[in-house]
Amino acid sequence: MAEAGGAGSGELFVTMGKWAVAPAPTLIRTLLGSCVGVVLYDRLAKMGGVAHIVLPDSRGDTSLPGKYADTAIPAMIADFDRQLGRKSLPRLVAKIVGGASMFQTSTPGMNIGKQNHEAVERILGSLGIPILARELGGEAGRRLTLDTSSGTVSIRIPGGTDHEI
Amino acid sequence: MSQGQILSAYQLRLLGSIFERGAEAASRALTQWLGKAVHLTISEVDQVDITEVAGLLGPEDATVAVCTMSFAGRLEGQLLLVFSDAAGLALADLLLQQPTGTTTAWTELERSAACETANIVGCAYLNALSTHLPRGDQNQGETLIPSPPEFRHEFAASLLEFAVMEQASVLERVLLIKTRFQADQAHLDWVLLFVPTPNSLGELSRIHP
Repeated sequence: MAEAGGAGSGELFVTMGKWAVAPAPTLIRTLLGSCVGVVLYDRLAKMGGVAHIVLPDSRGDTSLPGKYADTAIPAMIADFDRQLGRKSLPRLVAKIVGGASMFQTSTPGMNIGKQNHEAVERILGSLGIPILARELGGEAGRRLTLDTSSGTVSIRIPGGTDHEI
Repeated sequence: MSQGQILSAYQLRLLGSIFERGAEAASRALTQWLGKAVHLTISEVDQVDITEVAGLLGPEDATVAVCTMSFAGRLEGQLLLVFSDAAGLALADLLLQQPTGTTTAWTELERSAACETANIVGCAYLNALSTHLPRGDQNQGETLIPSPPEFRHEFAASLLEFAVMEQASVLERVLLIKTRFQADQAHLDWVLLFVPTPNSLGELSRIHP
């Protein structure tokens, strides 16, 4: 576990630029706008993690590893390895959520959500982690909940009901 | 992190006093619009760690109504007028001269009323800032030009995350200026957030009395 509370504490909330890894039974939640939530899951170990990624590239900045796609994903995998006491990579699968463009900003064309999505796809691809599901883009924020008992990812948009991916 | 864009406590106080002028102007405009005395006060001028942003408007997964306006000119960024659902719908009742509780859903009419209120508050606020900010570079226009408001119904944390994204792209602490509203001695559950872009944060850091 890193960054967002104690393992097995029942429910964890992951804020911007953080990640959490926990064994079952734990619900890991985050709320996303243009950030991308990366869910990693080991079905046999029933252990899951969520990273709330803000930007695609750290450009060498190591001060807040959970903030960037290229540092958050390796940091989360290292957390799996530490908790499992073995290399987790061969059994990990991924789901990715978020990357919305919610309203007009003063810098049109600065679509960070899309850049985050592309970076996450590239990094997971380079690590050989299969992406089982994606829900990205659009104009609404999303609440993501990972149930580490099943690997189920539930998503809710404002005013809507939960649906699973 | 770009250390030059971090404001000192003194600069934050100075900014607070300038933004109070914006709040006073917006109070007058809003009082005229609503036909009821409303006072806006700056409650926070602070730089917040990005990991703490999600909870600034209360519970992260509470849904809030928000009217967003971007602004351009000497400063660029976002103004967000955020209401709890109950407070936003009560505003619609007030504007439509109905008993509080009559409006129960955000139809086009209520959204339009909220956006018009945001437009009045935002324009008054930005006009006052234009007037009271110390003169800048002669090549820069002094006027702050707002976009038309957009209405959203959003999770509070998602809204804040998107609003601070431009600052978060270059900083680990983001500047938020938070204004609260009061009418009849009671706090209204409305918040106005001023979120400058990183470049504008740099401009604000060069302000001297």
